[in-house]
Amino acid sequence: MRLTIEVWRQENPDVPGFFEEHAIEGAQEEMSLLELIDYLNDHLVSEGREPIAYDSDCREGICGTCGITVNDQPHGPVPNTPSCRQHLRSFKDGQKLRLEPLRSAAFPVIRDLVVDRSAMDRVIQAGGFVAVDAGTAADADSMQIGHGRAEKALDFAACIGCGACIAACPNGAANLFAGSVLNHLSTLPQGKPERSKRARSIIQEIDESFGPCSVYGECAVTCPAGIPLSAIAAVNRERARAALRRGKDD
Amino acid sequence: MSTTSVRAGTRTPQKQIGPRWLSNVLAKYIMAFTGIVFGVFVLVHMFGNLKVYLGPEHFNDYALWLRTLLEPLLPYEGFLWLFRLFLLACLAGHVYCAWVISARAKARRGKFARKGLHGFSSFTARTMPVTGIVLLLFIIFHLLDLTAGIGVATENFQHGSEAGSFAYQNLIASFSRPAVAIFYLLAMVILFLHLAHGLYATVNDFGITLGQKARSTVMLLSGLFALVVMLGNITIPIAVLTGLVS
Ligand code: HEM
Ligand code: FES
Repeated sequence: MRLTIEVWRQENPDVPGFFEEHAIEGAQEEMSLLELIDYLNDHLVSEGREPIAYDSDCREGICGTCGITVNDQPHGPVPNTPSCRQHLRSFKDGQKLRLEPLRSAAFPVIRDLVVDRSAMDRVIQAGGFVAVDAGTAADADSMQIGHGRAEKALDFAACIGCGACIAACPNGAANLFAGSVLNHLSTLPQGKPERSKRARSIIQEIDESFGPCSVYGECAVTCPAGIPLSAIAAVNRERARAALRRGKDD
Repeated sequence: MSTTSVRAGTRTPQKQIGPRWLSNVLAKYIMAFTGIVFGVFVLVHMFGNLKVYLGPEHFNDYALWLRTLLEPLLPYEGFLWLFRLFLLACLAGHVYCAWVISARAKARRGKFARKGLHGFSSFTARTMPVTGIVLLLFIIFHLLDLTAGIGVATENFQHGSEAGSFAYQNLIASFSRPAVAIFYLLAMVILFLHLAHGLYATVNDFGITLGQKARSTVMLLSGLFALVVMLGNITIPIAVLTGLVS
């Protein structure tokens, strides 16, 4: 395959970035987007130039480390699929690919395609955990919950924290991300004792760094973990519930 | 180009837009509540408008009834003014929160606007601020034209009184100006776009978590509601322009 790559280069957060163009020959349809960058980097390094920096880890869609914007689509053109699982077969021979970092004001570029997603870490730090004594893993089995409830919790627990929902959002909102945490933990018995407290602190934290939700629905189209759009409504529901339970943690 | 250095883990200070107590969630609840009020209002208003097909007497009686509603408990136009104040308060809340939400959204997205959105829903979502501003201008025009009877109103605008209303005559006179009739018509298309997404969004904003099927149903119903309001109203300028009603 022949491809033209326009890739965002930015040396560090303090300098402006720009697009750099590369003509690529010999790319294979089976290559993932990340393998394409590896392929290009091999060339760059052999020419003594700086390779393109990008994030990745598992390369099988479970860790949430990867994430680049391809032709304006976070993660790439295939819906609900992380960059590491998107392949060149989605593109035509001779096509131009524009590779950018995940874009959002909360995600400053560290270098090239690598962004700082610690604003999301702060949301998790604000309440994405259970702080009451939930016992050991075996103790969880002693608390019987229905199969449907367990499945529902798992649907929302599937979030891999990649940040593509935020980059997909024209408003820079993190409601799908925060909503998945809130929905997951409010569905399980272990999450109940701190339900209101968690809602208050998580939602206060998303207001610090992220935008308001206008129900575009772009996040759910992009989410590689397939988090349902109903997660975004969970933010408003949990916040209203917490407001009615003033002074209470649960 | 600003040269603020980012250090992983530190929060970049954000400019506060709107008061701190007005959280995004609260702003969206206000939008949703006031939006529903307007949605119900435009539907009822449309049914009232359709009385134009029942003739001048019926239409003018209806206009007078709105003014004498709850008399003698309230004075002439008493209920009407209470209702106008309520709508004005809703409008103020809606427009202010719309500004806060749009400004925050723009700031939190940053320099690189999202491109390549998917589908009609994203189109209407993106155009909410624009369609909203057009609606605001329309509301002002409409009130001057057919309520206050100043500025953009026709020369022979007649004010109603306890003796009777001239709503029908004023309406026909106004819509007999083709440019005005077309403006009303276009404003209704804009209202459709605003309501179709708006009503769908309110379900989410009230925190009602729906599955995919129910969500599609709500989207469809919002579209239908908006379509009914648009089509019902649009028939009137067309009927006047084509001489069906005169
Ligand atoms: C007849 C008049 C109007 C009706 C029926 C109406 C209805 C609605 C509804 C139902 C919503 C959804 C609320 C939600 O987010 O849950 C909405 C949102 C919105 N309205 Fe209106 N509205 C009207 C006038 C206006 C005006 C005059 C403006 C601004 C000048 C405006 C600007 C907006 C904006 C920007 C949003 C979207 C907020 C967001 O991004 O989440 N609207 N409207
Ligand atoms: S690298 Fe782990 S999800 Fe893509």
